[in-house]
Amino acid sequence: MRRLLLASLLVALVWPLRAAEPVDILVQGAERLEIREVLAALGPNAVKCNLGPFSFWRGRIGRHAVVVSLTGQGLLNCTVATVLGIEEFKPRLIVNQGTSGAQAPFLALHDIIVGERALDYGNFVSPLRSPGEGSKPLTWTPVPQRLREPRRGELIAYGDGFRGDPTALAVALRTRNAMGRVFAGTIGSAHEVNLELDRVKWSAHTFGMDVEEMESGHVAAVAHAYGVRYIAFRVVSDAPYEGVPFFPMAARATALFTLNFLENFPPLAPPTPVP
Amino acid sequence: MIRSALLLSLFVCLSPLLAATPADLLLVAADDATLRPVIQRLTGTQVETRGGWTIWRGQLAGKSVVLTRTEGDPLNAVAATTLALRLHPPRLVVVFGVSRAHDPALRAGDCVVSERFAAFDGLQSAMTALGGGSNSLTWTKRPHKMVTAGERETSTEFFVADPTALAIARDLKPAEGRVVGGTLGSAHQVNREADRIAWLREKWKTSTEDGESAHVAGTAALFGVPVIGLRVVDGTPAAATALALSFVEAWK
Repeated sequence: MRRLLLASLLVALVWPLRAAEPVDILVQGAERLEIREVLAALGPNAVKCNLGPFSFWRGRIGRHAVVVSLTGQGLLNCTVATVLGIEEFKPRLIVNQGTSGAQAPFLALHDIIVGERALDYGNFVSPLRSPGEGSKPLTWTPVPQRLREPRRGELIAYGDGFRGDPTALAVALRTRNAMGRVFAGTIGSAHEVNLELDRVKWSAHTFGMDVEEMESGHVAAVAHAYGVRYIAFRVVSDAPYEGVPFFPMAARATALFTLNFLENFPPLAPPTPVP
Repeated sequence: MIRSALLLSLFVCLSPLLAATPADLLLVAADDATLRPVIQRLTGTQVETRGGWTIWRGQLAGKSVVLTRTEGDPLNAVAATTLALRLHPPRLVVVFGVSRAHDPALRAGDCVVSERFAAFDGLQSAMTALGGGSNSLTWTKRPHKMVTAGERETSTEFFVADPTALAIARDLKPAEGRVVGGTLGSAHQVNREADRIAWLREKWKTSTEDGESAHVAGTAALFGVPVIGLRVVDGTPAAATALALSFVEAWK
């Protein structure tokens, strides 16, 4: 009977309790290697929660209440994981971090790009070509990601992508990367691995991209739609201009950088109550 | 103490399920032109908006029905479908609309019902030096690494449609066009190069392309919810809506 009463009480309390206690920061990584150090920093008292097939770990890192999310690769996985993470944990800031391929020739293994902008670069309309005329990707016309502005009900095109949170960007740019350099830049996302240098050059020129990967631009769009602050960190794990193949352990650099960022980032104030 | 903490954690994790209101069908389409005639037929309509995504729900043909709008692209489709699945878990997802043919045997007005779905936006190109150009016909396809239980990634080329729903869909009698089983492909792309379309058909076995259907199917797969897709080749929104409404009538 006591258990039944306890269970009923919890059912009644859980939803308002969750709404009243958002976490400070949702830290995301697509692969286990990208969150390993962050997960370890949560300590042994972290509470694991599964939503669908996605895992989340809740705990504290320094001054912040943090949820770590293993999003999986690509738009499909990371969009679902981000919607679930926002709906469930109501974060005030999202940090999406992981590996990337260099598109700017000056970047080297273990350099980190902090996302001034993140965008989806994989969308296009191709021109009409008859059979036998081949395919010419450098002539395709990009299509910007659109989001519906809920108050006016209009679809807005975000051709330049989504800006990183200015405070988080400033803190990140004075955060130490023990394994390489740190630059502000533009992160492009698509379910693609591009190694044709002419196309790499084209997308760097067309979108201003410094690195390519598979999640940041999509997560940024979802965060923007919900009005949640957002920043992305991407370590260079492969550099086609230098012939550097994918080095998965580069993920460690971005996770360690994220921990340094969390130490430097000031506590997030709760949102101002609406009068 | 530990048992109480575990119980609390369990309830915290299950809270969305406790708050969710189940439905019979989730209907998913790209735009207002396709959805509005369905919404107008709902009774007891309720509307919810979160983060720019809208969910309508009500009763239609004796079933509890939820609708959401994809805006015709994968990101909005996945986000809107995730929200709908979380808030109102359905017995079946129906994604419907118009499409462009990849299969040269298809004719305008044909109704392609999904045997399976292919999200064909994944690619990998080979290392090519500057000046070597770019040619999508030399790319290799990159299947989606779907997150599955136990934090595993499962490489997935196709999402399979629900066989019971497919059998019902095959028996539909649209006013125009044939009913054909096939693979519904989607990406945030409009492909108009004939050689690339042939390449996509060869590699991904696509019958048609549109902006969302396979991504909606992939989202449903992540939650373990059955899915069916209905697409009218070079059709009008009205034809797609009529096809979906006839499916809703026929589905039990």
